[in-house]
Amino acid sequence: MFWTLIFPFILAILFNMAFARLHDFDVFEAFDVAVVDDENFCDLEIFKEAFKKLSEEGEEQLFVTQYVDSEKADQLLADEKVDGIVYIVDGEPHVKIKKNGTNQTVLTTAVEQIYQSSKIIEDIADTKINEAVSEMSPEQLMRGEMPDVEKIYKDTVATVSEAEPNVKDDSRVMNIVVIEFYTLIAMACMQGSMLSSEMMDRCLPNITSRGKRVAVAPTRKGIVIASNLLASYSMLLLSLIALIAFMRFVLGVEFGSNLGFIILLAAVGGLASTVMGMMLSIVLKTNNAAKNVIILTITMVGCLFAGMFGGNKGFFDNLNPIINKISPVGMITDGFYSLYYYADSARYFSNVYGLLIVAAIFMILSIRGLRRQRYDSI
Amino acid sequence: MTVSKAFWKIVLKNISTIIMYTVILVSFGTVSAQSNTSTVEFEAVEPSIVVFNHDGEEGITKNLVEYLDKNAEIKTGFSDDDKLKDALFYEEVVLVVDIPENYSKDYLAGKNPEISTRSSAGYQAELAKVMLRRYLSVAQSYSTLGLDASETTEKINAALESSAKVEVLSKVDSSKYAKASAYFSFANYAILACVITIICLIMSSFNRMEIRKRNLVSSVAISKMNRILLRNSCLYAFGVWLMYMIFGYFMAGGDVLFSNYGILFAVNSFIFCIVATTIAYLISQLVHGRNAVNGIMNVVALGSSFLCGAFVPLEFLPESVKFIAHALPSFYYIDSNYKIKALEGFSLGEMAPVLINMGIMLGFAILFVILASIIAKKKQRVA
Repeated sequence: MFWTLIFPFILAILFNMAFARLHDFDVFEAFDVAVVDDENFCDLEIFKEAFKKLSEEGEEQLFVTQYVDSEKADQLLADEKVDGIVYIVDGEPHVKIKKNGTNQTVLTTAVEQIYQSSKIIEDIADTKINEAVSEMSPEQLMRGEMPDVEKIYKDTVATVSEAEPNVKDDSRVMNIVVIEFYTLIAMACMQGSMLSSEMMDRCLPNITSRGKRVAVAPTRKGIVIASNLLASYSMLLLSLIALIAFMRFVLGVEFGSNLGFIILLAAVGGLASTVMGMMLSIVLKTNNAAKNVIILTITMVGCLFAGMFGGNKGFFDNLNPIINKISPVGMITDGFYSLYYYADSARYFSNVYGLLIVAAIFMILSIRGLRRQRYDSI
Repeated sequence: MTVSKAFWKIVLKNISTIIMYTVILVSFGTVSAQSNTSTVEFEAVEPSIVVFNHDGEEGITKNLVEYLDKNAEIKTGFSDDDKLKDALFYEEVVLVVDIPENYSKDYLAGKNPEISTRSSAGYQAELAKVMLRRYLSVAQSYSTLGLDASETTEKINAALESSAKVEVLSKVDSSKYAKASAYFSFANYAILACVITIICLIMSSFNRMEIRKRNLVSSVAISKMNRILLRNSCLYAFGVWLMYMIFGYFMAGGDVLFSNYGILFAVNSFIFCIVATTIAYLISQLVHGRNAVNGIMNVVALGSSFLCGAFVPLEFLPESVKFIAHALPSFYYIDSNYKIKALEGFSLGEMAPVLINMGIMLGFAILFVILASIIAKKKQRVA
């Protein structure tokens, strides 16, 4: 019992440690690059300026740049002391990398952008110079007057570097990692099945000797079963609230703001799970160990489909949209997800109702199963 | 014979547990084969985007959509906003671009019209946003020239075609072995779960006080019984390994598994199966009872899988977590999978990091056996 209840807490801590950096873009760290500092590079002012700016210490820093000769750059790359080398040949930038990766892509993208900007500046400046020349009178041209090329070039550099696309970002910053924690709560809810199944087995005369004693005892069976289930459900609910509180206040997992809805979902999820355990205990004529394996299978496969092990719920929803709609683990996870992500509560309540329907079906099956159990002797 | 029989009887009784973890492993293999969201080599992958074009198919709007189509995969069928929200959350769609009415006309009039976007988190989304902003920045730069639509799009396209020449020194196409690496790394969880659960259950059955007492007075020497149990446990672990190799053939591809890389993946996972068996032995000396075994197994299998990079790529794990993970054998197993994927040759020098990891794993196995023996001896005195 101790391990059953404690392991979701341990897993929550481990999840928190493992996913701490995933999707955390605020902690981008400038990485090492080597620039071959030869005359080709020195000729391209825009590259020199751009690399200087991108290597300046501060929030905008992208690279830690080392200006070296070609041999030294190759050595640094071979020793993996830099993620890439930038060098210029015939006015065109080249990037040398050892292998593909995030930093390498960032380097290539930045170099391409600088190169494109240089081409655009060249093109626009040429066009403007030509326009300025064509606007000059023949007399001016005869006098050998020329447009102010330097000013045109400087203005163009300013125009291109100040060109700011008008993009409105309506994104809500969401963290897919929360799904892992929601599946963990769903998994913890499913522990209720194991508890209730074990409790129920103790009341069934065809499974345990304690069940036989209960069967011949004068106390009403309904009261014995109900009190057993209530005990396991209360224990589960307490452990679920403790787990959610631990995740929310210690680990900082977001659940949305409605505390009442969070507890309601945990309570309904726990109820569905408890009733499922009872139903399986009554319907399956086998020992508790085999029942536990079945409950574990339902739980783990449900967790896989709900997004545990790397957050693939979307993929499974596309593959088979039904499974997560009928699996208690899927409904509990989706309920927490809708509280976190959706402004209205319609989807949340569809999951709550779904869990209540599942609980009702399991309860009906359980009652039917119990009513059929009559023994002349056992 | 009786001991072996009892051993395999318990294995057969728990066959559903083995099937369950295998189903999870195979499902993961299928997902990783079809989904590319976890790859870190994201440039090779076109980000999935959705474009809502409220403007006509002409001028700069047409050119922008063509540019996005060329550099990303434009997905359709998202008229339902909830479906789109879910797709954004699960990163099936990483960027939604909303082009307003009269965008082309307003652009030519020099108004710098607004484009609305929604994006998911993740590198693919960042890549898609950079791509869109790059186009719009170039367009904005050329808007100062007062050109007509066709001249402007011509100039934008010419500018965007200028690219840096990239030389990759590594001759190995590591993406070819990425699926195998992901499959075998995830197998960390399945191997630990299958081996620990079953062996612990068997051992705890044999270690129950009344069974132990009966065995102590039986004609079979306790040392012989332990040898038989160990032999069968190894045989069982070998069976699990063989089964996962067969699934690996289908998941990772036959050509990969029958290459030098495949042999290294197989050897690495075989050594890890040995380590898993010794972990199971150690745990079985410490805890008894199905619930306790399930709890401990979940903590060990899921915990080490999360901490050592079975579910989350090692690159994304915080340094502190990686530091702690060094104390777990799973780290060396998973690290080897990553290293095998990137191997450029098979000389001793090139394979050294992988071989060192294998050596460390065997070191862990010896340590666990010693610890289990010490605990078993202490218990024997108590019994």
